[in-house]
Amino acid sequence: MRPELLVLPPEHSDLGTQRCRLGPAVMEDLGLRLGSPVLVTLPGGASCLCTAWPRPDLADAYLQLDPTCSSPNLHPDALRGLRLGAERLTALRCPRVKRLRVTALVQGGEYRRRTSAQAVGALAAELLTGLYVHEKHLVNISHAGTPIHFLQVDSVNSGSHKAGRVTSETRLDVVSVRTVETHRRWAREGSAVPLGGLEEVRASLKEMLTLPLRYPISTQRVGVAVGRGALLVGPPGVGKTQLVRSVARDVQAALVTVSGPVVVGSRPGESEENLRAAFTRASEAAREEPCVLFIDEIDALCPKRSSSTGTPENRLVAQLLTLMDGIGSDEGFVIIGATNRPDALDPALRRPGRFDREIVVGVPTLQQRYRVLQCVCRSVPLSASVDLNSIAEMTSGYVGADLSALSREATLQAILHSTQGGAGNSGQSGGEDGKVRMEHFVKALRLVPPSCLRSSVGVAEFTPVSWERIGGLEEVKLKLRQSVEWPMKFPEAFVRMGVCRARGVLLYGPPGCAKTTLVKAAASSSHCSFLTLSGAELYSPYVGDSERTLAKLFRQARACSPSVVFLDEIDSMVGCRDDGGGSCGSSVQAQVLSVLLNELDGVGFKTAERRGTAPSKRDKERAHRDQRMQLQEACNQDVMIVAATNRPDMLDSALLRPGRFDHIIYVPPPDLQARLAILQLHTEKMPLNSDVCLEDLATQTNLFSGADLENLCKEAALLALHEEGMSVSAVQQKHFQKVLQNFQPSISSQQLLQYQQLFKHSYR
Amino acid sequence: MSQPALLQFHQELRKCFQSLKANQTVWNGVLEECTPLLSSLGNLAEQLRALKSVEIANTPLSTFPNLPERLQHKLLNAVDTVLGELSEKVNALDLMRASVCKQVAAVFQMYEQNSELLPISTCVARCALSPSIADMLEWLQDTERYYRMQCIQRKNLLQLLKPDDLTLLETAPKRWTSLDSPRGEDRISGALFQVSFFMASD
Repeated sequence: MRPELLVLPPEHSDLGTQRCRLGPAVMEDLGLRLGSPVLVTLPGGASCLCTAWPRPDLADAYLQLDPTCSSPNLHPDALRGLRLGAERLTALRCPRVKRLRVTALVQGGEYRRRTSAQAVGALAAELLTGLYVHEKHLVNISHAGTPIHFLQVDSVNSGSHKAGRVTSETRLDVVSVRTVETHRRWAREGSAVPLGGLEEVRASLKEMLTLPLRYPISTQRVGVAVGRGALLVGPPGVGKTQLVRSVARDVQAALVTVSGPVVVGSRPGESEENLRAAFTRASEAAREEPCVLFIDEIDALCPKRSSSTGTPENRLVAQLLTLMDGIGSDEGFVIIGATNRPDALDPALRRPGRFDREIVVGVPTLQQRYRVLQCVCRSVPLSASVDLNSIAEMTSGYVGADLSALSREATLQAILHSTQGGAGNSGQSGGEDGKVRMEHFVKALRLVPPSCLRSSVGVAEFTPVSWERIGGLEEVKLKLRQSVEWPMKFPEAFVRMGVCRARGVLLYGPPGCAKTTLVKAAASSSHCSFLTLSGAELYSPYVGDSERTLAKLFRQARACSPSVVFLDEIDSMVGCRDDGGGSCGSSVQAQVLSVLLNELDGVGFKTAERRGTAPSKRDKERAHRDQRMQLQEACNQDVMIVAATNRPDMLDSALLRPGRFDHIIYVPPPDLQARLAILQLHTEKMPLNSDVCLEDLATQTNLFSGADLENLCKEAALLALHEEGMSVSAVQQKHFQKVLQNFQPSISSQQLLQYQQLFKHSYR
Repeated sequence: MSQPALLQFHQELRKCFQSLKANQTVWNGVLEECTPLLSSLGNLAEQLRALKSVEIANTPLSTFPNLPERLQHKLLNAVDTVLGELSEKVNALDLMRASVCKQVAAVFQMYEQNSELLPISTCVARCALSPSIADMLEWLQDTERYYRMQCIQRKNLLQLLKPDDLTLLETAPKRWTSLDSPRGEDRISGALFQVSFFMASD
């Protein structure tokens, strides 16, 4: 057992000599000669490369080391009073360094600007001569009194060696020269946060930044006026700010941030002054290193100029515009603005020369969500049961912020679960303890709704309904499944057969025949976003408001596609144009109808709603698993609308053509079999007397709708309670019969005939 | 024991220390020659500044044509000459440093070649007449480092000097003297004293 060595502060005379004072016995033990290199590894991973020398007093229990060449994470304070085992000292074999790549960290930006890289290299080579260097270590040479304070060793002998001795023959390449402050800032900010699913946007932004920032001379020579502004447009939470930060860190550019509220001041002229100050700051920083001026929420700073907003805002906008024009002259910096309301910006801002490029960051698509999930779950211990693919499928409409909230919530659920379960059944969970399982994600999904739907008009909460809860109607269920569920489940088959998803489905039929319930079941069986709108939400006393609400609903539905928009009682909402009604109400209805027709197959949608990008070459090389996701994505880009009505004759004929409502499905009143199924369903929880014959009841209830049958069962039970007292044990057949005697079905046979005749000639 | 190796190494060390002793006097001599050059450089800078601040047109000297330009030219020429001489001196210092480096490197190389024959216990052994090998090697390394740093610092100072930057020129003598490190000189002298018996015991 070797004794531990007590670390003492180094002698003053040893400063900068890279010596490490050891006792001779320890040196003998480790096989060290005078001045041979030794790597001291400290607890916590920091290390320090020294040369071994015996202590003048030859005492063995102490260690003094001079941290001239040490890893960046070594703090001199950490050395105080430390005890190290001798096994932490390793003798290294250090060859002579032939090639060395270093980054020079200098004090003061002025020196950096004035001195060429060659001069810095020559000085650095002289300063390093005779020292031992280790890869990734920081060599402190500030005691020499030159402006170069540190040299960061990037690679020794082009990476073939870890450490080596610098001689006068060493060829030194200075990769870059930075100021110490810049380096400290980079070190403080740490490594870049991984961003999933934004690769395409990131690449295009990076290219824009790197060209003028990294190759200023060649871009000048070519004579290309490179774009120096970009506008990021996208809904909140998709990672615009995060993206700019990470790209700036990637290209190692300084980031100067301006936010609207900070700039605006109360005194007249103060806001403009602040804005000018921000630009000056950026151009000062740009002299040192590449710089990005980032204006977050630029819509607050640069709204549309008009007479109504007043002069202060107009002046501010004008100042911003002139400043942006001004930076073109000297090789300055790059401006990036971010907004989620591009339409609120002054049009003068959105021209080449100011914001040359507009980059749309849309709500993530299925594949992008998968990659975002991979990123946010990187540090989460996932159990084998978690399938990120299926979570990505379930999270339509979620943006990056939502997904990270989701993973956080799932982790919290797992912690909660394990602390609660830890007291009772600690042995049951086995090896899965402390890991996040699929059920936690499912629980978290309920707690974290997608943020793009949070302030939305048509979000509906409903209890999920399974297909089994609906008796009969097999044909209708099949049709609905075809149009809603199949494109999600069998995208390959759909692509192979060259069919695309239906745009719209119209359900019609007599009231009470489970049209609404069918749609609920369809929505809960597929993991689509489900939006619904009722007449009450749609109509407002203001002119044009209803149309805007409807358009907004569709915009949101597109943002979180695949989605289902359900319009119940569509006849009352849109009406018919050719019924000749000249009243005020019908004219609003006609306008709503025109909006709906437009949304169903209009020319296109706004650029700001773009999501994802066209598949590039890179995408095609991905694995088969991704191919399925791609197909699914391609199949389900659109919004599907499902409408229900019981007065299909009132609908405008333009709505009913294929391409708008592809499937027009008649939901008939239940036939004998269906009625039996419905009765069984509703009497499931009811204690029935043995004399009750449901088949008999089913035959007697011709023309009864589903709702009627439900009511029948309820009434019978109530009657039983009424007649037999509260302690009755079962419902008897006579109760059913009694109720049936004075019960009229809600559908008449004449009505039924009408429905059946309606579309017979044309579509069915 | 490897007595012959030890003796041979001692011989090498003696040679090295002797040349070090010779070098030290030369080094100090060159440095002393630099001092008047530096002070004249400071004077020239002061004159240049005075020339800049004076309005010659308002003085009786205004009758001489182009006086400020001529004066400036003359002064700048003088600055150039002084700087040239200074850089010669620094080059001489550099040469001296190179010779010291070479000798010290030779000693270290010899040690490395014979390190099998010279175990640590031998290296740290001291006696009344001679310091230990470890101490002597340490002094040699310190001396070499001292000369190297001095050279780098003085060269760096000269490189920063530009005739058009008056403040730098004016402060140059001060900065030059601030580079003098009596401590380092003392350490070399001390080392030489400590090895004097060792050298005499030849």
